[in-house]
Amino acid sequence: MSNGKLDRRDFLKVMGVGGVAASVAACDGPSYITSEQGAEQVIPYLSPEEYVIPGKGVWYASTCLQCPAGCGVRGRVREGRVLKLEGNPDTSLNAGKLCQMGQAGLQNHYNPDRVTAPMIRDGGALKEATWEQALALIEEKTGPNSGISGSRFAWLTGPTSGHQGVLLKAHLEAMGSSNHFVHEVINTKVWQAVSRDMLGQSMPTLRLDKAKLVLSFGADFLGTWMSPIHFSGQYGKFRSAPDRGMLIQAEPSMTLTGANADLWVALRPGTEGILALGIANLLIHKEKMDASMLPAAARQLIDRYDVATTSSNTGVSGDRLVRIARHLKNKSPSLVIAGASAAGHAEGYQAVAAAMLLNMVLGNVGKTILPTNEFPFPQLKPIEGGTADLGRFAKALEAGQLDVVFYDGANPLFAAPGHLKLGEKLDAVPFKVAFSQFMDETTARADVVLPVASALEDWGTHVASYMGDETAISFQQPLMEPIFPGTRSTGDLLLALIKMRKPGPFDEIDDFYGYLQSAIGTIPGAIKGDGEDEINTQLWNHILQKGVLEVPAETTTFETSIPAITLSDHSDNAGYPYHLVPTPRAGFYDGRHANIPWLQEAPDQITKVVWNSWAELHPSMAARLGVEEGDIVKITAAGGVIEAMAYIHKGIHPEVVAVPMGQGHTEYGRYAQGRGVNPLSILDPGNDGKTGEMALYGTRIKVEATGRAGRLVKTGATETQHGRKIVATITGDQLRRTEGS
Amino acid sequence: MSIVRNFIQDWSRYRKGIEDGGFHEYEHMWGMVIDLDKCTGCNACSVACYAENNLAVVGEDYFAHGQAMHWMRIERYWDEPNLGDKASKDTQEHGASFMPMMCQQCNAATCEPVCPVAAAYHTPDGLNAQIYNRCIGSRYCANNCPYRLRYFNFYSYYETSWPSPLDMQLNPDITVRDKGVMEKCTFCVQRIRTAKSDAKMDDRKIQDGDIKTACQQTCPTSAIVFGDLMDHESDVHLLWHKHQTKLGTPKQDKKNPELRGYRLYEQLNTEPSVTYLERVREV
Amino acid sequence: MNGDLEPNRVLFRLPRPGRRSGVRFLGLIMFLVGVFITAALVPAPSYADEIFTSPKQGEPSAWSGWLEKEPGPFPGVTINDEPFDGDDVEQPIEFPHNVHADTNKINCLYCHTYARRSDVAGIPPTSKCMGCHSVIATDQPRIQKLAEYWEKGESPPWKKVHDLPDYVRFTHERHLKKFLFDNPDMGVERVDEVCALCHGDVKKMTVAKKQKSLTMGFCTRCHEANDGPFDCQKCHK
Repeated sequence: MSNGKLDRRDFLKVMGVGGVAASVAACDGPSYITSEQGAEQVIPYLSPEEYVIPGKGVWYASTCLQCPAGCGVRGRVREGRVLKLEGNPDTSLNAGKLCQMGQAGLQNHYNPDRVTAPMIRDGGALKEATWEQALALIEEKTGPNSGISGSRFAWLTGPTSGHQGVLLKAHLEAMGSSNHFVHEVINTKVWQAVSRDMLGQSMPTLRLDKAKLVLSFGADFLGTWMSPIHFSGQYGKFRSAPDRGMLIQAEPSMTLTGANADLWVALRPGTEGILALGIANLLIHKEKMDASMLPAAARQLIDRYDVATTSSNTGVSGDRLVRIARHLKNKSPSLVIAGASAAGHAEGYQAVAAAMLLNMVLGNVGKTILPTNEFPFPQLKPIEGGTADLGRFAKALEAGQLDVVFYDGANPLFAAPGHLKLGEKLDAVPFKVAFSQFMDETTARADVVLPVASALEDWGTHVASYMGDETAISFQQPLMEPIFPGTRSTGDLLLALIKMRKPGPFDEIDDFYGYLQSAIGTIPGAIKGDGEDEINTQLWNHILQKGVLEVPAETTTFETSIPAITLSDHSDNAGYPYHLVPTPRAGFYDGRHANIPWLQEAPDQITKVVWNSWAELHPSMAARLGVEEGDIVKITAAGGVIEAMAYIHKGIHPEVVAVPMGQGHTEYGRYAQGRGVNPLSILDPGNDGKTGEMALYGTRIKVEATGRAGRLVKTGATETQHGRKIVATITGDQLRRTEGS
Repeated sequence: MSIVRNFIQDWSRYRKGIEDGGFHEYEHMWGMVIDLDKCTGCNACSVACYAENNLAVVGEDYFAHGQAMHWMRIERYWDEPNLGDKASKDTQEHGASFMPMMCQQCNAATCEPVCPVAAAYHTPDGLNAQIYNRCIGSRYCANNCPYRLRYFNFYSYYETSWPSPLDMQLNPDITVRDKGVMEKCTFCVQRIRTAKSDAKMDDRKIQDGDIKTACQQTCPTSAIVFGDLMDHESDVHLLWHKHQTKLGTPKQDKKNPELRGYRLYEQLNTEPSVTYLERVREV
Repeated sequence: MNGDLEPNRVLFRLPRPGRRSGVRFLGLIMFLVGVFITAALVPAPSYADEIFTSPKQGEPSAWSGWLEKEPGPFPGVTINDEPFDGDDVEQPIEFPHNVHADTNKINCLYCHTYARRSDVAGIPPTSKCMGCHSVIATDQPRIQKLAEYWEKGESPPWKKVHDLPDYVRFTHERHLKKFLFDNPDMGVERVDEVCALCHGDVKKMTVAKKQKSLTMGFCTRCHEANDGPFDCQKCHK
């Protein structure tokens, strides 16, 4: 331009100058906003910390509690408010990344439906009370003079770990009780049991990034399985050139992980084990892989599942089986994992064990499945949750064994199948106390509600159940002052309850923070100061800054063994010919996040539906029923009926109807209440024979059209690209030509 | 004649990529790369965007009218036109196709020239800016956007979207848009501004990695890369270079046409600043 | 109030001779006369680039010559420019700026310490007030009132006098850097002259009062004169 030439851009810019100059001329006009003086208050800090600068964000490290994975987070705090959460880059677990549930932790914290004051049931309804009244009532019912015997007291909690776990156990001990029921719908208990039996440890380290092929039997490791963000990070490396890995996913209905598979295989629910053994059969007999390490019984079992038997059971065509086996043979090392849809059956343990057997045949153990270091502090280890405890809890209630139940972090009345009749059984319990942030289904039927601080307002330590390479304790610290002064820290409450019940070692400790500091001080070499009972503040601050404390850990080795596996063939059920898959999704998870508006408005990854439930159907099933998208179908199981709008796609087995978990709340605040349906409510009774975990995927149903239609709200007007190059796809061969090694 | 010569020369210079001496006199040129093979469609970016940019939650009814404010949305397609007959007819054999869609920050944006009040304009660092307090809500820009990435505040969502204490989360670095204002992805311009300001306070240049957009920062598989295309050391420049995508051309003249980089609807000559890397499937 | 008697300078600003009307004239011509074609054909120097890309320090700008830059540390602006008569704002404590800044010569940045470190200048934390006033002038009623707040553990609820709309981003630190710390003609002891460019002669005030309009026109005139950024998005958020 300086040389006097003019191009089209300058021409446009000159036009812009005219606009700018004209606007500048017009910018002296008064505006009620700009001339506002003295209308707003600006209240300075009283005496701020050195590093607090108004207008500048400060980042504090903490731990995400949105799901049990235990990722590290950092919160941006400005003017005393936490504005944004990001992953903590100092952890190896999530390496600075976060999922949508983690991001939405803010709305859990700032939720307008939080319980803000203690409540006591009075004449049938919950009424607000003071903390003194609530604690006095608890003392009356559970204190030393209440006469309650320990065996009639129980805690029902979500998974916990670290020092909250220690306090929980201490409270149980003070109560003289051993009844601790730990409930978690989305869990990996069966995988852990199989790993323990076959490898000698329950949480082996998995290395997707080292695998050239991952074969997953319904393990939604990108969405809900084990530690999704950790595995997503590995997946990013796994998908990187030059050695881009291949992902094969076999499952009844497409999960987020399935949607990213190179080869997605629809299979009949409950036949995952057969598929695994069928592939093993092909590997041994067709691909001539060495199976000498297997005991004779296992080899005989594998021999039973030739291509024809496998194919007729699973519904997977023979040539596809051959293809999978060939890929497994060619791409070594591989990794075989099995998740919820494999484990959620009466023979769930057997199916997962069959998948692990495949790992042994393929020689993956020691290559992509590695021993995890031993976490050195057993008392801080995670207390894992599962669905088996819910069954045990229901049994204890049925037998009338419990007089007092405390809940924390669990909502069994929402997540329990209808056949357990948990609502009626709980109503018969004379005294129920809920430690709760929200008025969920369980809290609404409690006798005393204690409002607790949100995850961003509380202290804590967490030990992830899947730790991967780094053995660490993750710290949780308040990112801001409590929003509602009427809420209290769970740790403080536990301490108060322990002291209330029984004098003991906790009497000297004022609050949870003090306890945490003194407890961390006892960790050798951690923050113990020079003097007795003195902690090194510098180190303590360093830990809080970093958010994680790496602890020395001993390396371990595997002790492999192969249990007896028995699998029965798929059987038809004339009355209920189809299968129900209650899909867990990153988002609502098991329903705990349905009260978060961001997550309600975030479209489901697969169907893109918002604010509602839906029933996924295969086009062939839809054609048989004569339904189109949005038509309401009636899903009948032995245990009940639900109705949902149909969403039709090919990512589902033709004999399966999938309904997402999470919606169908009857309580739980303005965003969740009265939306959609809860598929967990109609589950058939049935447990995995070995672990006792509920057979979540074992429900048989029949499906009918109702003739009615609803409004299925989803994003995107089209399901196809109409031939445009929007998401362009190339083949693996092309990638190897351009970016291959 | 000199006028004609100037015109032709400048036109050809205009049509060159900035790397080849095309017009760009500013020190930065923000660009992005999204690897569709790494993108899992998990939605984390979208929710991170809600958190960072004060996006309103509109509710089911308004969502049904297509009035959702998801600046970063994940589109999901079931078909795979590029795989041709290799795609299966009765099962979703290769999974789904996910597309993170946000403002492509076009350098020849169709939205800008139609704005009657110049609320939509192009910044020298290659951003497609939207000045909220200038916007009068004509919606011409949204009409003209081929990507459907501009979102209009048909209602005032302040009361409904952030009932107290949700409003305490609002990011003070960005305006809360009111009824009648068009909005869209800004490449997290507030983060760019802050990082540049911090760099200038320290008398240094911005380095690659100083600025991370909210979506990039949270992306669990690191599928999103953002940075300065003028910085030849930056990851984003290296990726554009590696995949032989260039600014300033409606049709990429690649030496190796099999490389994965492409820009969406490039044929419309909108000059997006976002390069997508093709999804890969073993077939 | 004086504002009622005098013509409102904001509403009825008369065109003033010199650079500003020149700028406006340019804008008017370009906008109205439809320079599209003319501008495309005439190889005129482009001002657009100068506006959109602030030139490096010391390089001649397109505006050189157009603008008669006034000598002194801040070309184009002086403390006496563009007076504006703000309202009197009632504060919880009548804070006398004159006593602090003028009589006792306390540097502005001593109390408004965030101004050089953050976007906002901030009101000093109450602990800072008490740092001196736990011993100084404790017999004064205003100080006693302050002490009352302090005892209660509260800060006085000051009223905001200089309030920009929410869609504007203004950063104190960068302006201070440009006009004070990077300005060879200035020393930190003269910070009050820099503050005065936008805040008026605070030294002469008791309770702060708006003495500059702080409209966009006010901002852009100084940006023009000092080669400040002209990109909308730099200041509009």
